[in-house]
Amino acid sequence: MRSGRWMHATKMRVRALFYRAAVDCELEDELAYHVAMKTEENVARGMSRDEARRAALIDSGGIELAKENCRETRGVNWIHDVGRDVRYGLRQLRRSPGLAAAIIVTLMLGIAATTSIFTIVYATLLHALPYPEADRVVRIHDVRLQGSSTGGLVSVPRFFDLTARSKSFASVGFFCFEDTTLITGARLPVAVRGACANAGFWKVFEVNPLLGRTFNEKDDQPNVPMVAVLSYGAWQRIFNGDPDVIGRQVTIEQQSTAIIGVMPKDFDVPAGIDLWRPAQFASGSWTWRGEGSRFINVVARLAPSVSLASAESDMRRIGEELRHEYADTDGTWQFEVIGIRDALYGELRPAILVLFTASGFVLLVACINVANLLLARAAVREREVALRRALGASERRIRLQFLTEGALLATSGGIAGLGLTFLLVRTMAAKLPGRLGSNGIVQMNWPIVGFAFGLAVACGIVFGLAPAIRNRDAALNIGLKQGGMQPSGEAVGWGRNIFVSIQVALSLVLLVGATLLGESLWKLVKSPLGFVPERVLTFRLVLPWGARPDVARNFYADVQQRLEALPGVIAVGQTSALPTEDWHLRATFDADWLPQTDHHDAVNAEIRSISGDFLGALATPLLSGRQLTAGDGISKPQRVMVNRTFAQQYLPGGSIIGRHLADATGPLEIVGVISDVRGTGGSIAGKVGPEVYFSTDGIHPVTRRSFVVRSQVPPEQLIQSVREQVHQVDPQQAVADVAMMDELLDKAVAQPRFNTALIVVFAVLTLLLACVGIYGVAAWVVAKRFREIGVRMALGATRGQILLLFLSRALKASIVGIIAGIAAAFPLTYFLRSQLYGVTAGNPWVYAVSIPVLLLPVLIATLRPALQAASINPVEALRTE
Amino acid sequence: MSKPSDLVQGTLDLLLLKILALEPMNGFAISQRLKQVSGDVLQVSDGSLYPALHKLENEGWITAEWKTTENNRRAKFYSLTRPGRKQMEKEANNWGRLSAAISQVVRLQEV
Repeated sequence: MRSGRWMHATKMRVRALFYRAAVDCELEDELAYHVAMKTEENVARGMSRDEARRAALIDSGGIELAKENCRETRGVNWIHDVGRDVRYGLRQLRRSPGLAAAIIVTLMLGIAATTSIFTIVYATLLHALPYPEADRVVRIHDVRLQGSSTGGLVSVPRFFDLTARSKSFASVGFFCFEDTTLITGARLPVAVRGACANAGFWKVFEVNPLLGRTFNEKDDQPNVPMVAVLSYGAWQRIFNGDPDVIGRQVTIEQQSTAIIGVMPKDFDVPAGIDLWRPAQFASGSWTWRGEGSRFINVVARLAPSVSLASAESDMRRIGEELRHEYADTDGTWQFEVIGIRDALYGELRPAILVLFTASGFVLLVACINVANLLLARAAVREREVALRRALGASERRIRLQFLTEGALLATSGGIAGLGLTFLLVRTMAAKLPGRLGSNGIVQMNWPIVGFAFGLAVACGIVFGLAPAIRNRDAALNIGLKQGGMQPSGEAVGWGRNIFVSIQVALSLVLLVGATLLGESLWKLVKSPLGFVPERVLTFRLVLPWGARPDVARNFYADVQQRLEALPGVIAVGQTSALPTEDWHLRATFDADWLPQTDHHDAVNAEIRSISGDFLGALATPLLSGRQLTAGDGISKPQRVMVNRTFAQQYLPGGSIIGRHLADATGPLEIVGVISDVRGTGGSIAGKVGPEVYFSTDGIHPVTRRSFVVRSQVPPEQLIQSVREQVHQVDPQQAVADVAMMDELLDKAVAQPRFNTALIVVFAVLTLLLACVGIYGVAAWVVAKRFREIGVRMALGATRGQILLLFLSRALKASIVGIIAGIAAAFPLTYFLRSQLYGVTAGNPWVYAVSIPVLLLPVLIATLRPALQAASINPVEALRTE
Repeated sequence: MSKPSDLVQGTLDLLLLKILALEPMNGFAISQRLKQVSGDVLQVSDGSLYPALHKLENEGWITAEWKTTENNRRAKFYSLTRPGRKQMEKEANNWGRLSAAISQVVRLQEV
């Protein structure tokens, strides 16, 4: 029975909602019948028809009110109310399109700024990584207790040790990079970026392949048939997405390899890899643990119910054990465990959070502007609200109407902001620096839309409630009177002044941040690089691992000669790793001028190998001595060069030419000192450390070399000729990673440049919005106190005094804002310090620059209304009501 | 004469349900009948009568139908539903208990 009643009630509601006209008609008829019957009664009593009807209506006691109350009982009134409010709100907005446009544009900018940065925040810090339970996957780094490490790389013996001794991991894997050549069928060799991994690598990530299978322990033994797993990108690019690629035989590293699997599109560990091959390392055959043995990246998955903290202490224990067991090689090393999200984005996190905060400032300033506009309009609509109240509108209805209008504006602003964000992401996402620019990392998706929507809702609520609360206390009669008399005290509530101060403070903080970052970027770009990157072509040639030494030497020498002979080429050099390349190799040496101790290495330096006219190609000055030549790699003693930092650190004030270093192979004679080259090891912001340069053509020639070609003609024109020459020397060889040196350098500063550009944009935007807001408030104050100005002038105030009066009033809030801004900027810019280069955050000069830059537009914004105030005709002002 | 506005809303509902329990009728007739039965004591203003009727209809205690009256006018006739009848009995019981309690208190002798 209850359900029958409920169904009936629902039927009534639906009817009331959708057939409103019919239901209303019925109501009319019902009440009309009642009045008609009453009229008949009165006529029967002897009144005239007109009198009867009038008496009947009076008797009925408020037909309209009865109708209203009947409507209220229907229970769907609120839906109609909202609909009516929305239509009314739209009409209001259409009546003042300028105001509506101003509000929507301001909101659009604020919401777009915050949402755009949120896409980055989401992509790096919140979005689930594409492997299950990603928060249990960790990177294990090998870190020197004191001094420079090798970018977290681990040596193979230590890997086997930690795998055997640790209790915290369900699986441990490693990978290392190899640049290799892939030949399929009769096609030309393709340079690919590959990774060697062990079987455990796949168990760490637990991602199923798209096609086929990944390799297991059986494939990972020495001397078994070689297999490879392709990445999605390589599968599309090289094999055109052929579904029959599984089982195909290709040649990699001059070895016949079967393709056994393809990974799904979003599996990207390590980033940019084309294929994985089993490393086929046997634990017994890796014994060398010294410097220079570190080249693999270790990953692991925590065992169930093991926490990161206990894994860390476990690894500390193992590190301790190894330090004792192998004191001379492992004595200064320990293990570090880092969650994989931190390893990927840990360095970016401070920058991203700074940008996100800055975008939040933009939104706040925008919202304050919108709130000011709405408050000003609410003041204008006091009459309307008072009228509504007098006609019997409840508080709830009035609040609902303001809320609806606020929601309308916020929704429009939110949609516009989302649209702008979409546009920005579409055009700019690929240009983001570093890993962020990779395909598909930063993109629009539903959480982003939800975030924008949430912002819009929050704004809508604030905008809706503020005017309603403000008007609640307005006494009815004051509002209804024409141009209600305002008390001539402080017409601008303290609320408005606080708004102005907040806006100015936020603008100042952003300006200070922008100045710091800008100066830092300038110093970074302008600091001497140690080489000239313009007009330099680079590319890489990688020979197979087992190539014979004389074959390797001849190959590279041949290529060197041919390239030098090309027209337009000034110099050609070779190196094991280019500046700005993320490549680490360190070694320790004894020095013949330094005392030898048992447990302390005399010299610890980064190692590079060079040949050809490396110095000429990079235009790096030779400071003393001579450059390495062809025979220096195999001479006795072997000859090396060092860089300036090495000379200053290990033999300050002395002549290092002719001195000898010593490593396991024997004495090394130092024949030259070159200028410091920035970017060794990847970042050009890092301090340059001591470096030792060997010849690439030693007893074991380097088989992975980057060529550096300086040319008179634009280097792009040489690419084709270079490929032809290399092809003529060895048709099985592919030219990899062709890039201009200045492009590589550009990429290296891309991150700081992006940060700075964005903060500058935000600072300018905030300042602009703040000035608009300040102008608006100042103009409104002048308009409100029109009469007061007239009175003052009539009492003898000069125009100058009026000008000063309004200027000082308007600037007071701004000055408070500046002071607050300075106070806030000190702690906030502390968070910037990881992004700064050559600049300290507390630098007072920065404030000396930012404050005038801030004050000038603010002054202009307050000046115009003040000038208007000063030019008022006092007679008009007094006459105006 | 006690004005109908002094009545609690629930009491008005009870009166309407009871009148409709006797026979279906339209709003005007209900107000007439109420006056008649109570000897002119209870007069409901239209501002209260029709909203109360509509509320009862929305809740499902009574149902409505448009019919033609004797003098050829169309009017909306309400009648009690089965759940409405149960509700009326429940409210009548409540009222009985309430009025008995009030009577008890009123009859107390002043000392």
